[in-house]
Amino acid sequence: MNFDAILEKLINDTVGQSLGHFSSELALCVTIVGLLLVRLVSLDRWLPTYWVALLGAIAAFGLAACQMKQGGATQFLFTGLLVYDQFGIFFRLFLLLFLVLVIALTVISGIPDNEDGPDFYTLLLGATIGMMLMVSANNLLILFLGIEMTSVPSYVMVGFLKGRKLSSEAALKYVIYGAGIAGVMLYGISLMAGMLGTTDMSLIAERMHLLLSPEADGADLSVRSNAMLRTVVLASLLISAGVAFKLSLVPFHFWCPDAFEGAPAEVAGFLSVASKAAAFALLVRFCLALVGKDSGALSEHVYLYLGVGLGVVAAITATFGNLAAYSQTNIKRLLAYSTIAHAGYMLMAVAAMMVLVNSDVADAKLKAAGALEGLIYYLTVYLFMNLGAFAIVAFIRNQILSEEIKDYAGLGWQAPCLGIGMVFCLFSLVGMPPFGGFFAKLMIFKSLVDAGYANPFMWVVLAIGGLNTVFSLIYYLRVLNAMYIVPRPEGSPRVKFDFLPAGAYVVMVTLPVLLTGFFPYFPDRLSDTASRVANMLISNF
Amino acid sequence: MTAEESLIVKLLTAAWLLPLLGFAVEVFGGYWQKSRKSKAAALMAVACIGCGFVASASALCLGIEWSALLGEGTKHDVMEPISGTFYLLGEFGPLVLSLDYYIDSLTLLMFTMVTLIATCIHVFALGYMSDELTDDHVDHEVHLSDGGHFHRPGRFYRFFSFMSLFCFSMLGLVLAGNIFQVFVFWELVGICSYLLIGFYVERKSASTAANKAFIVNRVGDFGFIIGLMVIWTSFGTFRFFDHEIDTKPVPGLFTMISRVEAEDAHHDEKHKSSAEHEKDEEHPEGEEHPEGEEHHNGEEKAEESHPAGEHATAEHHAHTMQLDVDDARSVVFLHKDNKGTRIADPVTETEKSIPYWLLIVAGVGVFAGCIGKSAQFPLQTWLPDAMEGPTPVSALVHSATMVAAGVYLAGRFYPMFAPEVLLVIAYIGCITLFVAATIAIVATDIKRVLAYSTISQLGYMMLGIGVGGWAAGLFHLITHAFFKSLMFLASGSVIVGCHHEQEMPKMGGLWRKMPVTAFTMLVGVIAICGLAIPFSIFGAKIAFSGYHSKDAIVASSLAFMNANQIHFLLFFVPLVTAGITAFYMFRLWFYTFAGTPRDKKVYDHARESPLVMTIPLIVLSFFAIFVAVGGEVGPLYGLLQGSEPVHVDGGAVSVATEGATAITMPSRHAIHDVHGQAGWYALIAAVSGAVFAYLLYGIRVIDPADIKRNFSGVHTFLVEKWRFDDLYEVMFIKPVHVIARWCTGFDRGYIDGLLHWLSRKTVDVSNWDRKFDENVIDGLVNWIGKVVYKSGRSLRHLQTGLIRQYVMFIALGVLALFVLLFVMFPA
Repeated sequence: MNFDAILEKLINDTVGQSLGHFSSELALCVTIVGLLLVRLVSLDRWLPTYWVALLGAIAAFGLAACQMKQGGATQFLFTGLLVYDQFGIFFRLFLLLFLVLVIALTVISGIPDNEDGPDFYTLLLGATIGMMLMVSANNLLILFLGIEMTSVPSYVMVGFLKGRKLSSEAALKYVIYGAGIAGVMLYGISLMAGMLGTTDMSLIAERMHLLLSPEADGADLSVRSNAMLRTVVLASLLISAGVAFKLSLVPFHFWCPDAFEGAPAEVAGFLSVASKAAAFALLVRFCLALVGKDSGALSEHVYLYLGVGLGVVAAITATFGNLAAYSQTNIKRLLAYSTIAHAGYMLMAVAAMMVLVNSDVADAKLKAAGALEGLIYYLTVYLFMNLGAFAIVAFIRNQILSEEIKDYAGLGWQAPCLGIGMVFCLFSLVGMPPFGGFFAKLMIFKSLVDAGYANPFMWVVLAIGGLNTVFSLIYYLRVLNAMYIVPRPEGSPRVKFDFLPAGAYVVMVTLPVLLTGFFPYFPDRLSDTASRVANMLISNF
Repeated sequence: MTAEESLIVKLLTAAWLLPLLGFAVEVFGGYWQKSRKSKAAALMAVACIGCGFVASASALCLGIEWSALLGEGTKHDVMEPISGTFYLLGEFGPLVLSLDYYIDSLTLLMFTMVTLIATCIHVFALGYMSDELTDDHVDHEVHLSDGGHFHRPGRFYRFFSFMSLFCFSMLGLVLAGNIFQVFVFWELVGICSYLLIGFYVERKSASTAANKAFIVNRVGDFGFIIGLMVIWTSFGTFRFFDHEIDTKPVPGLFTMISRVEAEDAHHDEKHKSSAEHEKDEEHPEGEEHPEGEEHHNGEEKAEESHPAGEHATAEHHAHTMQLDVDDARSVVFLHKDNKGTRIADPVTETEKSIPYWLLIVAGVGVFAGCIGKSAQFPLQTWLPDAMEGPTPVSALVHSATMVAAGVYLAGRFYPMFAPEVLLVIAYIGCITLFVAATIAIVATDIKRVLAYSTISQLGYMMLGIGVGGWAAGLFHLITHAFFKSLMFLASGSVIVGCHHEQEMPKMGGLWRKMPVTAFTMLVGVIAICGLAIPFSIFGAKIAFSGYHSKDAIVASSLAFMNANQIHFLLFFVPLVTAGITAFYMFRLWFYTFAGTPRDKKVYDHARESPLVMTIPLIVLSFFAIFVAVGGEVGPLYGLLQGSEPVHVDGGAVSVATEGATAITMPSRHAIHDVHGQAGWYALIAAVSGAVFAYLLYGIRVIDPADIKRNFSGVHTFLVEKWRFDDLYEVMFIKPVHVIARWCTGFDRGYIDGLLHWLSRKTVDVSNWDRKFDENVIDGLVNWIGKVVYKSGRSLRHLQTGLIRQYVMFIALGVLALFVLLFVMFPA
């Protein structure tokens, strides 16, 4: 095969197959170019740049929706660098929907101003492209590339409020922490590639079998004595550390409270939902890649304990997040810890999936898909409730110029729309019926119950999760306590809050929280979709 | 349904609903009006009921097959019943509750009668109630503790709105197509009666009377409800008429219980002989009874038949009908159609039936409702007290219409009554008519005399229905409605004329002051007494309506006695009472209008009533004279016969053939044959009663006071109304009071004590719980909170904010995880 033939094959693969399925990412790329051009020709004086960004995001969303509608079988794009399947499309759609909502939020809340608009939206769209790469990564290099492509614009966005010392400090911390993690992760990738001779994730499981099969020397499936296995486990641990950094799992969470406190609420909301969703998709892919289609003897020894290990981390993360949230006085810091706790809950779903997927429990695949379904459902509800909370924080900040909880005193009565929205979001975050968060948590807990039959330790995780839910109530209620029960201090200016457009935005974002919990139709549709996506992903393994 | 029929339904619906509309407008409009001097409510009520009369009369003209009515031959072609459903209230599987209508000539007649009389009475009330047209009405009968009288705003509008509501309810009752709907409107007329009796609610006597009427009626309605439950469970429908559910024909009550021809003579003979044996042992003279049965079957040609003289021939049995019973005579089979096809269960193929005793329970239960509503023995005591209401109310509600509703229902429900039930009805009617008439002799309150007379006449109607004179009973219902409402209005006119004086001993000679009233009252008196010139002049007897109808009843009971000689009292008591009736009615007239004035003051102030009151009197007296013209061959009787249940015509027999329960209902022919004879008896009784009254009160040849002295025991007994009120006081009211006191004591002593004890204990437990809560639970929660909060705070120290440390934690974290995995993995 000469060079021409390879080139021709490459071109065919790229143009004929891959680019079409890559259309929504391309749309975002075009938008970024457009944004820069608008700045270059000074068109932004007449056309606010958010229109360009919003149109581009909506176009990309439309394209992703078309892909969702078409469906189609699993394909590998760009010579196997990316995978194109229902799971990826769903997350792509999810991210783009979120992007549209965040752009709308920034337009309403007025950060950034028109001067900084092109820069900000370029970064926002760039980070989104990185996330979209993460959710469809099929190669360890793309995994690294996606994480970095998400992280680098995030560093800048955290420090976007250039004048504020806190903001710059947060950005710097984030950068350095991120750089450290990137090093760790890269080390893990190089170990993995060195051991297995490939960076293609779909080949990992197969290669591991070859490496550890009884025919290979030292057919000892103990980490303590098998150096190769030990190395592979260490490598996967190091790669997981990179993902864990994006998920802000304990003990890789240190950046999160500082970054959230320094960043504008809009950016914090973006990071808390989007990068987390993308990282979860990536984690699921990576974990399933490790397990492989038919892992045989390995599953009982290694993967089960990888799952249990994830469960331990999940339990610790949820507990830590909740406990640390208690004594916070800054609402964004509080929500940052809440984010950490929720990452813990969601990681429980991944752990349950890992435990279940190759276990000998009846209907193991179906139950693993159930766990994944729970994760998807949770993420979707989480999108709305967390974005709603951050949006309300942003709107209140615009009014009272403060993000301290004590300054929220009596606000619920003066801005009822924001107050009630906050009630919905926070109760849903706790997991109270009749809000969407209840069903999301219920689904995850149910899959933990299932996983407990494979390994009883998951029941311990379940108990810790349940206990955490109770404890989390207290600090969420502290916010509501401030908003409703503590009277507004004498002499403080009355908050003037117009319903349009901010109130309408809050209604739009918080209504799904209620709908997914209260009216059977919406939860049914959502869980149907989630179940379909999850089953397609699991059945491919 | 033809266009004509649907027009009739629309007309009657309009006549029915117009008063309801009137009621709604009047009661709210009247309440919100600023002054109580407006007559608008009354005019609206008159307009509503007047339009209702026009609609009803038009429907009557439209609905009747005049050629069948006026010509010779069978009267059953006068009108085909129209039935249907207005509105479905609810469905419970095959059971249906609905608002239906059932229209036959009886319905049309009742509609026309009720609306006509109601219109007259409404007009009369315009005058009678006019003292309420004021913002400051003084009720002279209510004495306040400070010696003054009670002042209140006038209630003119309220009176007429209640009257409108009553008309709506009464018409709804008549129109109803199922027994449940009848019950609903039954209760509605009951509440209207309650409201109207208690119209002068501040008078203790009025409010007591209202309560009495209401409570006594509940006793009867209790039986009604039992009857309804039996019907609902046994028949599965309340509807009278056949209908369809999901295009499946469903028979109505009347069809289900339709009669079959009585068993053939041979069969009868067999039973007869065995009956005779038993009879002979118990009653030597009872042997005539079965032959009486035979007699009526065979007496077609025999004018003056002796019971034992003739022998029945088999073919005549074809006319006699009876319930479709099994051989053991314990169950009655239900029919699918009028040809006697039995209903069979599609699954089990057993024939649907109802136990015979249950059918009797249903009949007696429904009749118990009639007893209450029509003030029959033993529930007659409420009606005289109900005269506390304004006189137009007495005329409309408590003589012409509502109390007659019981008779109407007994007539409407006639097909459902087993012969035993009819016998009960006959005896109840018989007792009532006699008891009430005797009390009327000694009553001195003009309205009370009329009230007892009403009870007595209602007893006649019940008796008529009970002895198989279906048309006779309802005939009397119609004629009585006219002459009795006439007399009540006339008495109202007297009362107004004498400034609310109701005691007859204070009146006398009033005919000079109020000639129209006196004359019209005389018409009513003659009508109710049944006086007539029994010779044909211009081809017809000169007689007022009451003669014809009472004659018909007496004839029926005579025929019944001929057929069932053991029940001879059912003929003699009404006959004697006919004389008593004439006596007390003429006593009333002579007392009031004739002779010399007894109380100068009353006489001097008396004056004739205004036109608005006398014109209704004249209209009603016209009808009281002519409504029954022609008697048994006249149009009114013909109309009623158009609705007569099929099995009445040929007579009916009870299913039992022995003992006192063996009953034979006389056929039309049997009644017709004794008609002339009965007419003479009744006339002689009436004339002698009237003459006796004339002697005592007219020319006063005998002093009534002497008689009173000589028979003081009887007199007191009658004045005390046969001591029914005392009896009920001892039998029911006293025991209830005792039980109530006992209950109160138990309640106060034990229940309250227990409750108090419980509440004290609850407080104790709560106090203890509070201590536990505050100290233990709250302490625990606070402790947990504190611990959690503290650990949260300590975690804060981990977040130092130093970037060097953060990066170090990365390395430590990875290492820690690796060690964790290493430790965790099994060997």
